[in-house]
Amino acid sequence: MAEPYLVVEHLTKVYERGHVVALKDLSFEVQKGEFLVIIGLSGSGKSTLLRCINRLIEPTKGRIFIDGVEITKLSPRQMRKFRRKIGMIFQHFNLIKRATVMTNVLTGRLGYIPTWKTLFGIFPRNDRELALRNLERVGLLEKAYVRADELSGGQQQRVGIARALMQQPELLLADEPVSALDPATSHSVMQYIEQMNQEDGVTVLASLHFLSLARRYGTRIIALKDGELVFDGAPEEIDDQKFKEIYGEEAEEVEIR
Amino acid sequence: MPPKYPETYLREKPSWMAWERIADFLYFGFKTLGKRLSIALLDVGGIAILWILTSYVIIRLSTGEIGYALVPWWTFGIGVVEIAALWESFGRSFGHRVARLELRRGDGGDPALHQRFVHWLLWHVSVLPLVGLLPTPPLHERASGLALRPFTMEGRTPKPWWRTSTGLYVAWLLGISVVAAVSVTISWEDLVRLFTNAGSTAKFWRSFFSPDTSIIVKTVRALVVTVFMAMTATAFAVMVAVPLSFFAARNLMRGLIGRSIYTVIRVAMSIIRSIEPVVWAIFFLVWVRVELAPFAGVLALFVHSVSDLTKLYAERLESIDPGLIEAIAATGANRLQVLRYAVIPQIVNPYISFTLYRWDINIRMATVVGVVGGGGIGQDLFFYLKGNLWTQAGTVMLFIIALVWAIDYFSARLRAKLA
Repeated sequence: MAEPYLVVEHLTKVYERGHVVALKDLSFEVQKGEFLVIIGLSGSGKSTLLRCINRLIEPTKGRIFIDGVEITKLSPRQMRKFRRKIGMIFQHFNLIKRATVMTNVLTGRLGYIPTWKTLFGIFPRNDRELALRNLERVGLLEKAYVRADELSGGQQQRVGIARALMQQPELLLADEPVSALDPATSHSVMQYIEQMNQEDGVTVLASLHFLSLARRYGTRIIALKDGELVFDGAPEEIDDQKFKEIYGEEAEEVEIR
Repeated sequence: MPPKYPETYLREKPSWMAWERIADFLYFGFKTLGKRLSIALLDVGGIAILWILTSYVIIRLSTGEIGYALVPWWTFGIGVVEIAALWESFGRSFGHRVARLELRRGDGGDPALHQRFVHWLLWHVSVLPLVGLLPTPPLHERASGLALRPFTMEGRTPKPWWRTSTGLYVAWLLGISVVAAVSVTISWEDLVRLFTNAGSTAKFWRSFFSPDTSIIVKTVRALVVTVFMAMTATAFAVMVAVPLSFFAARNLMRGLIGRSIYTVIRVAMSIIRSIEPVVWAIFFLVWVRVELAPFAGVLALFVHSVSDLTKLYAERLESIDPGLIEAIAATGANRLQVLRYAVIPQIVNPYISFTLYRWDINIRMATVVGVVGGGGIGQDLFFYLKGNLWTQAGTVMLFIIALVWAIDYFSARLRAKLA
């Protein structure tokens, strides 16, 4: 088997002087091109895990390797540079609400452009072209100069995807990308993420709430419970027994189609 | 919920490094000490205030004299502390309410009477000399088997305010405060004069309908000076307050050095803000011995605006959405870029809106500042009032009302647009 793309070793995150343990000794590997879905109850550590991988949150202990680089050893400056390869999309989209869609998409290039230019809002011509191409790809070309807060939820998340595409990422972290969307829109957004995974070969780590979505899009699933890894395997391996282990005895599966 | 893992869990340093244990003891010790102490101070202080006010009203209404304690001061001191001790042990005190805590048994049940009694006895040796508060849980709580727990309404029905000690306390305090306040500031004779002596201001009111036209040019000129004073003060205040606000925002100033800077700026700003612009104006009149009177007024407004705007701006900064900062940082942007694309878009409009609001306040303040000699329309008004020139004073007032109304209206319209 090839060298894994992402390696997480004994990852631990402790908040507030040891009172809250968000992640407990987590270890797993991800191959290049995988679509890994992370499931688990709210508060099980999914978001913390994703943020540790691009070090928006500093891990307390453990090591993370991406493409052979130990990112937990990088200086803040080196880490910023490294983050250009890691796209991220969020549950609440996290767009600049008052700015145009175009500006929002262009912020995906911030890591590549000299700081002084970006401070004045100057983006090179080829970046603008790239932005329009990416907007066309997510089907929002006509909305390029519309204010971001005028778009619907699904459209805003597609802008988030276009912003991540601007980074030309190798890895995409998706933190509950469809939790704030309705079922129909969820699938459209998930399909764009799937497209990134299959056509551009982007490795995807996505946390999802609905098991049906996880089964449909994931090539592999890991499950967290109270910060611990309780399942790691193929989507079809999750049966009723496993489901109850992850979500608790009283849980019942809800379908989303 | 008790912590699932002790804080020694996952410790990277070896356990012989006992200083960390000491640090933890002190950290949690001072936390409990601070909490219990502030509750005790709230209760003791609250009862003292109630006692003094009540005594004052009783003495004032019965004898007409001024007095504060009814009893010797040492009795008052002991009494206040004792009532607080009883209140905290046998009921849910004001301080407990404020801190959203309540006294419960270790297993969560209602405290028994003898436990409350032990709690009350040991309160004196634990809270008063403070040392009993250092261990977690504090001495008197440990010995009585009781603990201050977060208050919960789970499984209980709410009581009306007159059935709770704090409710009665607050009601009594409010009632007695109003009685005391009225008796300090209003006398019967004053009240009578308010109605019988109204005629002496007739000239002033009459001028609203027949203003003194000879001073219009002069008044308008002073009015323009006033607007300019507000404008200068606001403009320079913005230049200082915008950069300062970033150092006065709690969420941006992390770490020991950051927090120290934050605290120094916030404290300085609230001290400056607590001194009224009029006082600042007198201060600067003495300091700079101005050629142009408005300069002192401008300085006074400037100082006050800086402190006010810094606070308003900083509070806005503290409430920005951290999600956007995350999103921009995740693209590989550096700190300046995060500032430019995640922070500034969220604050531009509120900042402009606050500035307009402050300018609007400054215009009103500028007239007040003028009264002490700070220039502008206020100075004219004061001159006329002092010389018993009621018609002219009324004319000036008319102009001030028109100006303030207009500025108020337009700044409100503009701010509504920005929101």
